[in-house]
Amino acid sequence: MNSTPPGRVIKTVFPRSLVRLGWRYVVSHAWQSFLMVLGIALGVAVMVSIDLANASASRAFSLSAEAVTGKATHQIVSVSGKMDETVYTNLRLSGKVELAAPVVTALVSSEVLGGAPLQLLGIDPFADSPFRGYLGSGNELDTESLTPFLTRTGAVLLSAELAARSGLVPGNSFTLDFEGRTREVFLAGTLSAADALTRRSLNGLVLADIATAQDLTEKTGQLDRIDLILPEDDPGAATALQADLPAGVRLEAVEARQGSIEQMTAAFQLNLTALSMLALVVGLFLIYNTMTFSVVRRRGLFGTLRSLGVTRSEVFTLVISEALLVGVVGSLLGVGLGILLGRNTVNMVSQTINDLYFTTTVRAVGLPFSSLVKGGVIGVLATLATAVPPAVEAALVEPRAAQLRSGLEKKTRLITGLMGLAGLILAGSGVLLFQIPAKNNIPGLAGTVMVVIGFAMLSAVAMRGLLTAVTPLTGRLFGSLGRMAPRNLVNTLSRTAVAVAALMVAVAVTIGVTLMIDSFRFTVNVWLEQTLQSDVYISAPSFTANTSTISIDPRVVDQVAAWPGLARADRLRSTAIESPDGPVNLSATTNPDVGKERLFKAGSRAPDEIMQALREGSVLLSEPLANRLNLSVGDSISLYTPEGERNFPVAAIFYDYASSQGSLLIWMEQYRQIWGDTAVTSIGLRLPPGSDPDQVVRDLQSGLQTDQQLIIRPNKSLRQDVMEVFDRTFAITAALRILATIVAFIGVLSTLLLLQLEKQREIGVLKALGLTGKQLWQLVMLETGLMGLTAGILAVPTGVALSLILIYVINLRSFGWTLQFDMRLGAFAMGLLIAVSAALLAGVVPAWRLSRMEAAEAIRYE
Amino acid sequence: MSNVGKLWKITGTATVLVLLAVGGWLFFRANKPVQQTGTSIQFAPTTAAEGQFARAEGLREFSFPLDHGPHPDFQTEWWYYTGNLQTVEGRRFGYELTFFRRALTPQPESADDGSDWRTSQVYLAHFALSDIETQDFHYQEKISRGAAGLAGSKGAPVYEVWLEDWSVREVGADRYALSANTEGYGLELELMDVKGSILQGNHGYSQKGVEAGNASYYTSQTRLESSGKLRIGEDTLNVSGLSWMDHEFSTSALSVGQVGWNWFAIQLDDGSELMLFTLQREDGSLDSFNAGTIIEKDGTTRTLGSADFKINVRETWRSPYSGAEYPAGWEITIPNEGIRLNINPLMPDQELNTFITYWEGAVEIQGDRSGVPVSGFGYVELTGYAESMQGKF
Repeated sequence: MNSTPPGRVIKTVFPRSLVRLGWRYVVSHAWQSFLMVLGIALGVAVMVSIDLANASASRAFSLSAEAVTGKATHQIVSVSGKMDETVYTNLRLSGKVELAAPVVTALVSSEVLGGAPLQLLGIDPFADSPFRGYLGSGNELDTESLTPFLTRTGAVLLSAELAARSGLVPGNSFTLDFEGRTREVFLAGTLSAADALTRRSLNGLVLADIATAQDLTEKTGQLDRIDLILPEDDPGAATALQADLPAGVRLEAVEARQGSIEQMTAAFQLNLTALSMLALVVGLFLIYNTMTFSVVRRRGLFGTLRSLGVTRSEVFTLVISEALLVGVVGSLLGVGLGILLGRNTVNMVSQTINDLYFTTTVRAVGLPFSSLVKGGVIGVLATLATAVPPAVEAALVEPRAAQLRSGLEKKTRLITGLMGLAGLILAGSGVLLFQIPAKNNIPGLAGTVMVVIGFAMLSAVAMRGLLTAVTPLTGRLFGSLGRMAPRNLVNTLSRTAVAVAALMVAVAVTIGVTLMIDSFRFTVNVWLEQTLQSDVYISAPSFTANTSTISIDPRVVDQVAAWPGLARADRLRSTAIESPDGPVNLSATTNPDVGKERLFKAGSRAPDEIMQALREGSVLLSEPLANRLNLSVGDSISLYTPEGERNFPVAAIFYDYASSQGSLLIWMEQYRQIWGDTAVTSIGLRLPPGSDPDQVVRDLQSGLQTDQQLIIRPNKSLRQDVMEVFDRTFAITAALRILATIVAFIGVLSTLLLLQLEKQREIGVLKALGLTGKQLWQLVMLETGLMGLTAGILAVPTGVALSLILIYVINLRSFGWTLQFDMRLGAFAMGLLIAVSAALLAGVVPAWRLSRMEAAEAIRYE
Repeated sequence: MSNVGKLWKITGTATVLVLLAVGGWLFFRANKPVQQTGTSIQFAPTTAAEGQFARAEGLREFSFPLDHGPHPDFQTEWWYYTGNLQTVEGRRFGYELTFFRRALTPQPESADDGSDWRTSQVYLAHFALSDIETQDFHYQEKISRGAAGLAGSKGAPVYEVWLEDWSVREVGADRYALSANTEGYGLELELMDVKGSILQGNHGYSQKGVEAGNASYYTSQTRLESSGKLRIGEDTLNVSGLSWMDHEFSTSALSVGQVGWNWFAIQLDDGSELMLFTLQREDGSLDSFNAGTIIEKDGTTRTLGSADFKINVRETWRSPYSGAEYPAGWEITIPNEGIRLNINPLMPDQELNTFITYWEGAVEIQGDRSGVPVSGFGYVELTGYAESMQGKF
């Protein structure tokens, strides 16, 4: 016995006849397998496409950042954004640092270069080579060739690719747009990179000598930052250097700085990933359902196999192998489909990130290979995991004739009760998870999934109750068929419940996300109503959809102040300033009514008191900022000022949806006194009653003397623009919602097909007993319709619960926004419509097939 | 049967591929290559700016300290400080601190209210230390634009030349502070000029080639009594000795065929100094514009022409870095002056592999003058051995 030949071992582990058995099943139920493959493929595709989008966005960010930071380990930045260039000179003359490079940088664009934002990077070629090396390093620095670059005004370098694409050759002149002004420059040369990654970074760069960059951006005498490479093994070096720096400038580690920027998008990306996972979960429901079905169907066969000596593990392997086949084929298909879908999602996600967080100058980043691998592997593993319960069930079949279905269904009755209980416990635990405070939102999202699955587990119990309750009604409407249909469903609850649960989850996601977006939109509308009180707004063009931080030409500010026919002109200065918690968005205002024109959080003081405190140096925090820094009214926020760190009391917390990083509001006089910055980034004009804002806009557009291109728009169009950005932001969420629904639709379609076809024999008997074709149609449609209706009805509470979680847990945690719940019946109507129409559509094919089948043939089948 | 086998093969292959892909991904993630910036640049064609610079075309009046300062009309200018120092215990060091100025164009394009960084002046500096005891040669190079206070030179109100934290500043009548620090070594010296400024060549006009303008204006301070602190490794030592300063400016000193030069700065213990230079020709032949100056103890000078002196190379040294073969021992005879000197490097390896590759080293001198034994120390500069200086100076 011990001397088993090797061939025999393999056969024992997996007899060829069994392989053939599995294969034959897969082939003979090709359409069934096809639907399973499609379900898993769509789930994987959605996940891959979102992961591609997230990975691309992250890579675009890091490439954009790397192109400008190079190998810097630390940066010296100014707390007010403006740094005197003597900080650098003094640092150099002190001899305390060897590797330091001054940087002047700005976002520019150019029609000739395609109009996309580009990073103007002003560097000192003599100091820069250890950092970026774009101009060759050390002894290779060719100062002769650099002569025009160094000595001529407007000399810039572009990547060879960008120059060629734009039809520019060295020596050509073109214009750059900077903060609404046009600058004349010329191409002093082109840069080529050996490796693809550097080439991509270069394509987003306009490289200039620091003198040129200062001239182009009107930053004479100023630097944006100083890049440093400090020894890694000497942490004391940074501390010592910081001590030597003048007040108002700070030394920061690059990693921490970039980390904090990247972190801003983390919540957004995590939520997208979670949403994309839902599509996969729905797909898995389908796999589970189909696999269970196929096992149940073959119980007799497995019983026979077992009595013929096939072991439990062989049966298990057989079922798992089928799942593996479906998983691998589906996942490979899904990865391919994900790449196609990714073309759209990548654009949508980067658009949103560019709108809300930061401007990336690197666009094409290539296909992140890791996303594809991740998607494929998760697809296969998830399919296998889902197939385990049915495979176990198959393995447990006793080696005798098949157990009777009725016995199974009897068991199901008990199980539904237990499942319902488990569902309640799961949902309850999910809610408990929300109480866990965490840095990221993973417990929150896990809790959400638990609540949704908990509700799904409850659906069997709910379905039984609902169908029992509805029987008298359908009986009255459709006679005996009307009583038969719900009873049939209840009797086959072991499979119908899974199908209904899958459809219910998909519809609930649709309802929940729709309610969330509706509530968000509603909240933003109310907020805009309250906050945008001026009649006309003036600002300079900016690359972000957020509050513009671009200064308006001071001459414009003066002219507007003296403009006839205005009731008031409120000036606003928005900028980012340094704080111990990283950069904080600050807005300084002259609006005397700001205390009345914000929605304050409960617990804030009266408007007059808030105004009084604001004028005396307190600040108002937006809700996301207060949440992020865990501050309440009465606390203080610490900011770096040119005189060092300073605490500002928080007078109130206001609702704000402009950014998820949040912002703080300070009185303009206080700001100017402390930071010495007189720039204005936005002007809000109030008109006397009866004025025509559009006329004022036209007058300003033609009458203001400036070389700066300005955006002057009436309240109405600013509001429209904001809502447009809002809708753009949610485009990806809406798209995901649709994709999840499609996956569910396919799931329901296949489940119902299976169910109906399985009942062929029963139908045949009914036909033999005189059931007409029309009656058959009625029966099938009634059954599927009832399932759809059940799913739709169950989806309503689940959807509402989901939207409440999304609004009060996920959004608040991820972005710090409190939204007002706004329930619209439209969402429910749409949910029901999707559920019932999917179900009815799924009934068409089986009804058609069964009605055409002869009774005898139907009975004979199998 | 075959169908079944095929299917499993496909499934198996697909699984293996997925696993390989995961493995590959993990591998590449772990071995992410260090970012390489192999960038190359193609520049717009430039026109040679040399023609627009001033040229050394005849005698000019020198006025000090103003003329210690820069002459930006000329393309090239340098300030050379070299010296031999020793501690009270007799530990010897040689040092070189050199500032080069190079104008890219005669005038940069610039608006009045434009950037302070706009300039056409580029400064390059070399700081070298020869530790004779350990035979270690240290050198560092710095480069910067001559703007924004980072590097520059001035003749008034006081003379100074600096590149970042390396500098020489006039601190009083004939007194200068020299300061240079870098990783591992540094120097803080006070220099006292005991002889005043010496005009080399023909009243400071030093002809280097037959074409008009292939010349430089050349002045020196040949005896700077030096004392101060020298930092080497962990040690800071009190040192004293003699330094030599050369200040030269030109637009195109070298003629066609000239690839470099040999330059000797010799400080003898009888209170006199000797400066000699010979021009290296591509074909190795002797150049007729070789010249020199004898500076007597009282500061009087006599100019030497190429026929007045003879230099025999007695030894050579091949650099392991550049592969160039340099002379490493000379016999100098000036028959009319009764001078015969043997010159030997204090150590062979004093080559700088910097923006330009050259040998600049401390030497010791033994010999006799009019039958009286003399000795001393000095510095020798050898260029054109590793690469031609043509177009660089």
